[in-house]
Amino acid sequence: MHRHLSEEDAAFKEKIREFFTTAIPEEIRTKAKEGRELTKEDIVTSQRILNEHGYAVPHWPVEYGGQDWTELQRHIWRDEMQAAGVPQPLPFNASMVGPVIAAFGSKELKDRFLPKTASLDIWWCQGFSEPDAGSDLAGLRTTAVKDGEDWIVNGQKTWTTLGQYADWIFALVRTNPEAPKKQQGISFLLIDMTTPGIEVRPIKLIDGGREVNEVFFDNVRVPGDQLVGEENAGWSYAKFLLGNERVGVAPVGMIKRWLAEAKEYAAQVKQGEGVVLDDPLVAARIAELEAEAMALELTVLRVAGNSKDGRPDPASSILKLRGSQLEQDTLELITDIAGPMSLMWSEADGGPVPVWATVSTPRYLNFRKASIYGGSNEVQRGIISGTILGLKG
Amino acid sequence: MDFTIDTEQKALRDAVRELAGSLADNAPSTGDVPVGPNEHDEKAWSALAEMGVLGLTVPEELGGMGATPVELMLAAQELGKARVQSALPEAVLAAALLAELGTEEQKALLEGVSAGETLIVPALHEPMCSFSLQAHDVTATESGDGWALSGTKAPVRYAAAADRLLVTARAGEQTGVFLIEGAQAEGDVVTFDGASAQLVGSLDGAADALQRAVNVATVALLAEALGAMEGALAMTTEYLKSRKQFGVPIMTFQTLTQRAADMYVSVELARSAVQFAAMVAAEDPGATDHIRRARVVVGKAGRHVGQEAIQLHGGIGMTAEYAVGHYTTRLTAIEHTLGDTRQTIGELARTVRDHGAVDVFA
Repeated sequence: MHRHLSEEDAAFKEKIREFFTTAIPEEIRTKAKEGRELTKEDIVTSQRILNEHGYAVPHWPVEYGGQDWTELQRHIWRDEMQAAGVPQPLPFNASMVGPVIAAFGSKELKDRFLPKTASLDIWWCQGFSEPDAGSDLAGLRTTAVKDGEDWIVNGQKTWTTLGQYADWIFALVRTNPEAPKKQQGISFLLIDMTTPGIEVRPIKLIDGGREVNEVFFDNVRVPGDQLVGEENAGWSYAKFLLGNERVGVAPVGMIKRWLAEAKEYAAQVKQGEGVVLDDPLVAARIAELEAEAMALELTVLRVAGNSKDGRPDPASSILKLRGSQLEQDTLELITDIAGPMSLMWSEADGGPVPVWATVSTPRYLNFRKASIYGGSNEVQRGIISGTILGLKG
Repeated sequence: MDFTIDTEQKALRDAVRELAGSLADNAPSTGDVPVGPNEHDEKAWSALAEMGVLGLTVPEELGGMGATPVELMLAAQELGKARVQSALPEAVLAAALLAELGTEEQKALLEGVSAGETLIVPALHEPMCSFSLQAHDVTATESGDGWALSGTKAPVRYAAAADRLLVTARAGEQTGVFLIEGAQAEGDVVTFDGASAQLVGSLDGAADALQRAVNVATVALLAEALGAMEGALAMTTEYLKSRKQFGVPIMTFQTLTQRAADMYVSVELARSAVQFAAMVAAEDPGATDHIRRARVVVGKAGRHVGQEAIQLHGGIGMTAEYAVGHYTTRLTAIEHTLGDTRQTIGELARTVRDHGAVDVFA
């Protein structure tokens, strides 16, 4: 048991920090840090550069662009990336469909999709949730029926994040409605978004953003070779994907950066004879959040190396739960620091009110999503109480 | 960062677990079960000494084991889980001070401390004062070739059983640490009226040494709290499985299981913080800010887990005969020993300007 970084890891940290802060355009990083909306081009540009240097998908198999790193090095990579304001590699590509194709796809599928998925030449979106299948994901009703070698897909997906930019969608579809358990009749299909019969409709959210969509499928013909793995085994791939999402999503580096920024903001906003940071209640909230973020980061470090037989340490299920809470608490704090300035909503530079303050409320509202997506926090607690504590309803 | 423990550390943990289990079995579990602050238990103390627990962090050349706060953490966690309360954190603090500041003669006491023959505890707290390393009303004045102490220290846990006390007292503008033998204790209250004492180390070096000693003792306290939380969560989980109401086990009710899940989250975050605090203290006992952050995490977790453990049990959790409330009692005491969550948040709040993001590797 020891805490210091080995010389090798310390050098790795230096190298990767240098890369993130010099190779990724500062304009993109500043936008990301200020909480402004990134364009498709920003995200693509950033990921291309990462990918060219082997930093986009380090957790993938080495032959498809992964790195032979330790868990600690992956943590350092993620942490430094978030600290530098580098947009993270598109999660639908890097953390979701990529690992599924790598683990369960045929050699043919891997060669066809993985290089373009890593480089973001294909932008993926996720077709999991449906209007009547949210937390009860296995209740999904979008169907795929065999027609010769092809599948004909009908139904509707929703909450499809950045679907408006997507070239392809990975979707869970019902291929056997007669299966004894609803989980047993689901397959994992890859679908070209330009296929006739697909319609994308944006859903405007309370922050004014249009990051999620409804996706409708009307007799969409999908070639049979775009099925991942085996027919009717899609649920296990989906669980694998969601498990990765839970482990990978504790956004510790970002929370730490937000807290550091919160202090800078609070040191600038005047209050009485001094500044907001002089207010002991504000300083105490920051101190408390720093302690809690530290405990989260340490837990990430502790459980990351503890996977047994390829299964993550059960304690990793707390990372999504706690990570989303701390994201939300930190953004709440920043909105409080902005105070009356938070009443303005604008991304325009140059006014008397800084951008961090005028995006604080929409950003705070936007991140209420964090405790809902990827399995709501209530679902996470259900996983903990059922799987770890053995409390069965 | 490496959170794994080696074979020797595992062996220590297993041995303390077994001992703690047997000590816990000897405690009364029915009838007039004692509650609140415990008395010093000579037999348990000797057993801990025999296993080497009391001298874990005492240097080998002074008669101890020469181990680190990591080993101390492993032992204290097992004691906490088994509900074995002892003067271990207090003895650790006193030993750390003597080892760092003491004269050869004073350091020679540590052999007896490690052997469980001499009990030395710190007397830091004063009536109507929040926790402080500086003495408020207890004073020391030079007298002949020694010092004379005046004022009241309370609470001084285990004062009545102690052979010697290490007392903080004000000498002019500074606070010094003084060793005193044969102080008269009324329970946890010790009053000095010109009692003669030896200065330990110098007045100038006392503050930093005290902080380091408190930090190491805090590792023992936080680890004991972690063990208590583990015990409380395990009991609560078992109870939810076995207790029936409305004809079904109460784990049928999500309002309870969701809360049990939150308890688990608190315990796991606290575990990370405690192990980190031990690693930090092993490397640099003066890394106070990291230890303070750990203290805040564990303090809040302990309050959450302790309160929920009682609530999820219902009425039985309130009874002295049933163990779960004793965990909560101990967690509450730990949270207020050598500082507390509220005050610690305040101390951290005063330093938030000194750094950007918290760096766990630095």
